[in-house]
Amino acid sequence: MLTGAIVAGVVFGLYYTLVGLGLNLVFGVMRIVNLAHGDFLMLGGISAWFLFTSFGLNPFVSAGLVVVVFLLVGLPIYYLVVPRLLRSRDSEMLSLILFFGISQMIEAVTTIGLGATERSLPPRLLGVGPLVILGTRLPKAWIFSALVSAIAVLLVYLYLYRTRLGTLTRAVMVSREEALATGIDVNFVSAVAFGISLALAGVAGVFAPFILGSITPNMGVAINITAFAVIVVGTLGNPLGTLLGGIIYGVSLMLMQTYLSSWANLLPNLLLIAVLLIRPEGILGRKTRRA
Amino acid sequence: MAHWSSAGRLTGQGGCITSRNGSDYGRLLIKGMEMKSKLLAMGMLLAAGSAQAQPAAPAEIKVGALYASSGPYASISMPVFDGFKLWVDQVNASGGVEVKAFGKKIPLKLIAYDDQSSTATAATLYNQLITQDHVDLLIADSGSVLTSVGVPIAKEHKQFLFDVSGTGAAFFTDDNPYIALMADPVSTIWPHYISDFLGDEGVKAGIKTVAILYSTNDFTGTQAAALKGFFERDGKVKVVYYQGVPTSTSNYTVLINNIAALNPDAVLELGYVGNDIAFLRNLQDSGNQFKFVFSIYAGTEKEEIEKNVGVSALTNIYSYVPPSNYVYKPEAGMTQQEFHAAWDKKYPPGSGVAFGANAVYGYMTGLVVEQTLATTKSLDQMDIHNAVFALSGKLKTLDGTFELRKDGAQIGEVTPLGQLQPAGKDELNLVAVYPPDLANGKAVIGK
Repeated sequence: MLTGAIVAGVVFGLYYTLVGLGLNLVFGVMRIVNLAHGDFLMLGGISAWFLFTSFGLNPFVSAGLVVVVFLLVGLPIYYLVVPRLLRSRDSEMLSLILFFGISQMIEAVTTIGLGATERSLPPRLLGVGPLVILGTRLPKAWIFSALVSAIAVLLVYLYLYRTRLGTLTRAVMVSREEALATGIDVNFVSAVAFGISLALAGVAGVFAPFILGSITPNMGVAINITAFAVIVVGTLGNPLGTLLGGIIYGVSLMLMQTYLSSWANLLPNLLLIAVLLIRPEGILGRKTRRA
Repeated sequence: MAHWSSAGRLTGQGGCITSRNGSDYGRLLIKGMEMKSKLLAMGMLLAAGSAQAQPAAPAEIKVGALYASSGPYASISMPVFDGFKLWVDQVNASGGVEVKAFGKKIPLKLIAYDDQSSTATAATLYNQLITQDHVDLLIADSGSVLTSVGVPIAKEHKQFLFDVSGTGAAFFTDDNPYIALMADPVSTIWPHYISDFLGDEGVKAGIKTVAILYSTNDFTGTQAAALKGFFERDGKVKVVYYQGVPTSTSNYTVLINNIAALNPDAVLELGYVGNDIAFLRNLQDSGNQFKFVFSIYAGTEKEEIEKNVGVSALTNIYSYVPPSNYVYKPEAGMTQQEFHAAWDKKYPPGSGVAFGANAVYGYMTGLVVEQTLATTKSLDQMDIHNAVFALSGKLKTLDGTFELRKDGAQIGEVTPLGQLQPAGKDELNLVAVYPPDLANGKAVIGK
């Protein structure tokens, strides 16, 4: 049972890496907390459900469409909201309030428009039946979702470390003021990062029905809590630390389910408290953060 | 005060007459007048007393209700609320509900608030309905979690609570007359057909061990504890796995693998709609198979679960057979078919809330309210209590026979055990398989 929990935890944690990655990218670049991240994930799931039920699109195709659309939608949202927020005295705190409001709006509008019931995609779309890894039976959907997550992490890594825009993004992450002083179009760089963040949330949403069973308009808050724990554990502001945070969360959750199942929902909060008390900068963090 | 002033005025008049017609006659006349005035005053008092016992009929009967339009309980709350609203609209369309205490029909005013599946919000709103809105009748939100906070509040304010489907055993105590469970059996007796079936037909088919996985809340936690108790009492089937998980659990793969490692013959998963969807999907994905698998909402909210899980994952799963899938002969209100048609007309398929057991529970609660108002002596909450309890064993609706234990727990509407059996291509039929007197099909036991 121990091996099974660890194997399942790693695979499950990879999905939560995808969930937290975008949230961490936004915090790293803009120093704001997007509390509507989970709601954008929900919208990604709703999009996949709509594209399947209306046009019969496979989730992989939907994921591609969602990436493009959410990336493009992210740009105007950024220009509408974030620059004004960053001009305020306490943008981190105000971002919590503002994005909480956006989160509530998204949930309310989705509920009014579609109802509060569960929506899902047929399991057969990602293959029915298990794959056996180290003697542990895992749903094929988990493996595909984990692969998509791994690809997303790789792409974000390549973007940050192998492209000019990525280099500029890291410059903004180090110091927004210095980046501005050197002539970098900070707003454009941040807008692209915001768009990528929404695209990552959208892709995670497409695979949510296969990992979480179904999508409901109210799922955003719970997703945010978990995603926040993942990125705090992995190091706030370090997108690649999210990978470690996700895997630690996944393995811990599966161990809790195996040995102390009734208490499993305490896990994100326990991890948050433990990291904040023992290593507030996160596991991969340094006293002075470097991008 | 009225007695004093009217007597004084009459006495004064008498005094005037005495001075004109002599003292004896005058005294007699005065005595007569005094008696008359006393009689008149007594008459007025009696009239006032009678007016107090039967005050003027209110312009409307205020019915307070909570619902959850969002959050984890929305999928069980909205059908209940919509079913209840359907009944309210029907009653008001016919001029109102017959209230015996006033001898006339009075329209209903539904005051409803959205608790968003939050117990904290629900607690505030229950208080508001009682203390600010002064509702005549209080209807709880659906399910045990959102009912749990309403029970002590209603008791404290001596307001009778129409508990729609909060089946937690702790709600019903001998010292609380202000509650009655409407539409579901109390959780301590509800699951007994499962253990009876496994101990009877299951054992014959080789079922010896069972795993129980439940969500830790009043509703499923109580059922799990009751089942464990039944199995241990009967000693025919051994419980080899008994674990609770948070109600927010959305993945069961590792849990299913852990259960499979113990190789039980039967698996009982007790959760809410979201839990059951995740469990059944993960069970199919895991490839693990058991001789007997039970899930509450596979049958109770068949349409909802089927559209999220698919036919193949549901085939041969056992569940309760709710009144939305079993025809009882009602003596009050619509039949199941009539109600389904009325539901589809008011809430067309695809409009957001699926027809299911909870829709029936909402409507059925309306029927209890209707019968209560038709018999209660007044709107006093103890009179409401007496009227509700007087219906016990006599009211037969599309949900079966309404029967209450003396503490308010529902013991009459016990649902049969059913199985989702294939019925043509991509279709499933929920067949009642136990007890034999309610069965309309035969169970298929095996992997």
